[in-house]
Amino acid sequence: MDHWQDKTAKYGIIATFAFAGALPFLTESMFILNLLVLMLIFIIFASAWNLLAYSGQGSLGHAAFFGIGAYASTIIAAKSGMSPFITIFLGAAFAALIGILIGLTCVRLKEWFLAMVTFGFAIIVQTLTVSVLTPVTGGWDGIASSRLLSPSIPGYQLIEYYAVLIITIASIAAIWYIMKSRIGLAFLAIRENELEARAAGIDPVRYRLLAFALSAYIAGVAGALQIHHIGYLTPELYGVDNSFWPITYVILGGLGTLAGPIVGTIVLTIIWEGLKATGLTFGRYVIVGVILILAIIFLPRGLVSLPDKVHEWLKRRRRKEPLQKPADD
Amino acid sequence: MDNLGVFLQIIFWGLYAGCIYILLATGLNLIFGVMKIVNFAHGEFLMIGAYITATIFFLTGINPYLIILLSMLALIGIGALVERICFRPILGTGKLNEIFLSIGLIYIFQNGAALIWTDNWQSVKSPYDGITLPIGSLNVPLDYILIMVFTAAIICGLYLFLKKTRTGMQMRATSQNRKGAMLVGIDVERIDVISFGLGCALAAAAGTLWIVSGQIFNPYMGSIPAVKAFAIIILGGLGSIPGAIIGGLLMGLAENGAAFLLGGIWKDAISFVILIIVLVVRPTGLFGEKGE
Repeated sequence: MDHWQDKTAKYGIIATFAFAGALPFLTESMFILNLLVLMLIFIIFASAWNLLAYSGQGSLGHAAFFGIGAYASTIIAAKSGMSPFITIFLGAAFAALIGILIGLTCVRLKEWFLAMVTFGFAIIVQTLTVSVLTPVTGGWDGIASSRLLSPSIPGYQLIEYYAVLIITIASIAAIWYIMKSRIGLAFLAIRENELEARAAGIDPVRYRLLAFALSAYIAGVAGALQIHHIGYLTPELYGVDNSFWPITYVILGGLGTLAGPIVGTIVLTIIWEGLKATGLTFGRYVIVGVILILAIIFLPRGLVSLPDKVHEWLKRRRRKEPLQKPADD
Repeated sequence: MDNLGVFLQIIFWGLYAGCIYILLATGLNLIFGVMKIVNFAHGEFLMIGAYITATIFFLTGINPYLIILLSMLALIGIGALVERICFRPILGTGKLNEIFLSIGLIYIFQNGAALIWTDNWQSVKSPYDGITLPIGSLNVPLDYILIMVFTAAIICGLYLFLKKTRTGMQMRATSQNRKGAMLVGIDVERIDVISFGLGCALAAAAGTLWIVSGQIFNPYMGSIPAVKAFAIIILGGLGSIPGAIIGGLLMGLAENGAAFLLGGIWKDAISFVILIIVLVVRPTGLFGEKGE
């Protein structure tokens, strides 16, 4: 990624969040506000998945961390009486702990095996939740989760929106910082060539585990936020849907970029809600599937690479240059 | 029932479930062997195969065991299309891309099927429903025996195809060395299409046999068996068909044993527990090569 692109992405993200901050002044609709809260939460979740993918590990079971964060935060809040705003981060820490555990089994595995293990891990966690852990988790029926803010507070929805927005911005800033730091460089090095990374003195196992812990932590924050926003949680949280959505968002937006998950989540949410308005049910998923496959084949670096592609294409047209092979890696 | 009876019952259930896994895992291995890709949406082909059989059965009332051939033929076509349209453009662009593409396929097939056939649970009644054969102290439904016979016949047929026919030999050559196969004039892209189609046909056979035994089904039926089939080929060795057969049988037995000992809820999770334990000990799978 060159300097020019980097800057565009940065200012684009800042502009997006500034716009998100101004949105409540533009709309009165509580429905839209609620939608935006859920969208922000999924931006956090997709970014968490993306961070793990940044280190070359594609997880198919991120719903596990999303769900563990949600359950842990809910149970801690219920047992201790602490505010959800504190327990969110404690629940996420628990998710990170489990993330390290599952990371330990995954660090030596390659793509397919890792995908399988993470997928299976989500199923195992769900099974545990509805069997052995039923006394705490409520089994298939689920349990009530304390709300972020009591509905008796006037304008609580607005306050909640801004609280979630601030946590989203903080998460994205943290991920940006990680990606730019030596840690992020180490992730990249491992992803591109593990042998050379090792030769440069990077311990792949340690950094892989770190990626798992960080990603699980942020995913746990997202899960806990969502559940405290809705006020109820069930084991459906561990479902395949919740594992696949962040992947879809990130792939469409642009894998391994900071802006990718944000762009992908926003664009797909708009498409998704637009299709909902036309009354499609299963058809929506079919369309999302088609969009995903088209993006993988024709736009492998996601929507964030679209301006570049258009730019390139215009330049070629102007100069009437022969078709060049795109400089994809 | 005495202990021995229960034990035999579990073994029989395991063998029956194992047949479905063998067909799925063998198909996956066939595709992996030739194209070196892993299709996580393989279970969706099982589901489509099951629905095609069910639809023909509901329309005509022919013995569902005979429809299996039609269903397999249809899936060869669908599989070939999917290979040509989706997988060929991304061959060689990275393993993660194949996984992501499979997710798109899962979305399309599951919900496309729900659009056509609704997402209600359905079932097909086998013509041999209620007929049992006494084996030892056990009364085994005739359907289970037929399923085992069909599985064995299909696997033998595949074996003969791979060993004796020209296309089969070309497939084996391509899976051993793709570049070498190209050098001696084999059209590897044609082989890709054929392998993918055959793999899907095996999944259709699995789907058909699954539903004729009286199991209820809906558009989401395929995902979990397919992921288990993956666990099996990881355990049995990527690309190894004997490994898939032995792994499939063992998985069916382990699963039903665990369901009996720990409760039915563990049936799905246990295969992954086994998988994780094996991969912790041997990151390349039980019989995997060191290279990959």
